[in-house]
Amino acid sequence: MQVEKDDILRIIDTIKKASSYDFTDYSEKSFARRIEKILIDTKLDIEGLIKQLKSSKEFLEHIVKEITVNTTELFRDPKMWHTIKYRILPRFQEQDTINIWHAGCSTGQEVYSMSILLNEMNMLDKCNIFASDLNLDALEIAKRGEYKYRFNVEYIDNFNKVIRQNPYNFEEVIDIPFTKYFDIDLTKDLLKAKPILKQKPIYRKQDLVREDNVFYTKFDIIFCRNVLIYFNYDLQNRIFENFHKNLFNKGTLILGIHESMLGPVSSKYIKKGMYYLKK
Amino acid sequence: MAQKYVIIGGSAGSFQVVTQILSALPANYDLPIFLCLHRLKHIRTGFIEALSIKSMLPIVEPDDKEHIRSGTIYLAPANYHMYIELGNTIALSTEPSINHSRPSIDLSFISASYSYKEKLIGIILSGANKDGAQGLKAVKESGGIAVVQSPDECQVKTMTMAAIKATQVDHILNTQQIIDFLKKLN
Repeated sequence: MQVEKDDILRIIDTIKKASSYDFTDYSEKSFARRIEKILIDTKLDIEGLIKQLKSSKEFLEHIVKEITVNTTELFRDPKMWHTIKYRILPRFQEQDTINIWHAGCSTGQEVYSMSILLNEMNMLDKCNIFASDLNLDALEIAKRGEYKYRFNVEYIDNFNKVIRQNPYNFEEVIDIPFTKYFDIDLTKDLLKAKPILKQKPIYRKQDLVREDNVFYTKFDIIFCRNVLIYFNYDLQNRIFENFHKNLFNKGTLILGIHESMLGPVSSKYIKKGMYYLKK
Repeated sequence: MAQKYVIIGGSAGSFQVVTQILSALPANYDLPIFLCLHRLKHIRTGFIEALSIKSMLPIVEPDDKEHIRSGTIYLAPANYHMYIELGNTIALSTEPSINHSRPSIDLSFISASYSYKEKLIGIILSGANKDGAQGLKAVKESGGIAVVQSPDECQVKTMTMAAIKATQVDHILNTQQIIDFLKKLN
């Protein structure tokens, strides 16, 4: 089913009037695709969807969660994590404190990945870790740190690649088991993050579209991976400006490996291969 | 901008076919080609390097919102869905897998057929699942040309058979015929 542009505008307008969420600057096609999926899942037509959005706050919250994409995994894109391990973090080794923000952390896998890496580099103690997302359900899962085991076997592959292998020296194998950080509960089919990974992160709800920074501090490193691909150029640019404002000098911005900074704001950053530095 | 666009979907047994096709196309081949290929989860890297060795045309794994250029081959990055959108841009997404696949061939084909209509040539190659069948149907319904690799030639014929069942395809061709067909379009 192809949703027409007028329908999209009406849905965005309905959500905007009934709540604080504003999808005006969402990537139009991406928004349309999510709506198409919602219409199939809910078996509603456009009129029915709009009517329900107007009449039920709970339904609206549910639909907003359905529109936003929550896919993430432990150590997604191992080569990015190698860059973090060997190129980015060594620069902070001498610093007394390091502030890290995971913007759009979804269900928390990236927060756990970073915490594991920091702990292996003896840097976790001096880090302040902040994580935000629009979706409160996702944040609850992030705090709990429990993930399905069976469908996520690649988490362990990724962990091994990032933590146990040295891409600059293939002969070196670092003997750290996955179970140092996660308990594997086969009967419940769960991976459970160990307490050491749960002490640091502070989770808060934040809507990147209208809130600049809910943590009231500046950051050395901001992660925002595969979040802005769902936004249009203008909104992306605004958010890159916001990150710029909230980074310390020479602070690092990490995007998804297939995202790039376009438009005027890119002159305020230095692109360093897979990441960006604040000028 | 090019008058025609080619989109190719493949899974198990398609890698060699794709390599043969790419290595046979001349350096002045003008049509943009989109490749949506399933990869084994543990071989996510090295794929583009392997394809590039044989190809005279540039192969890229595009970034989100990248502009589509003539004479370039776009390989859907591992672990992302790749959409071809109006205005000649590519969009990536991390939405959940569809039929256990990300990239999903159906999604790429459907978006490209919406954007390019009768200017699109869709080709389904060897594969072990049914991804791509709905996509090729969309290509056909939008006025594009639907091509399927001859199932007899496929290492695994499930995907091509599913595509043939889902829509009335224009051509069932072996690898060499696909190459000749693509060359004639240039």
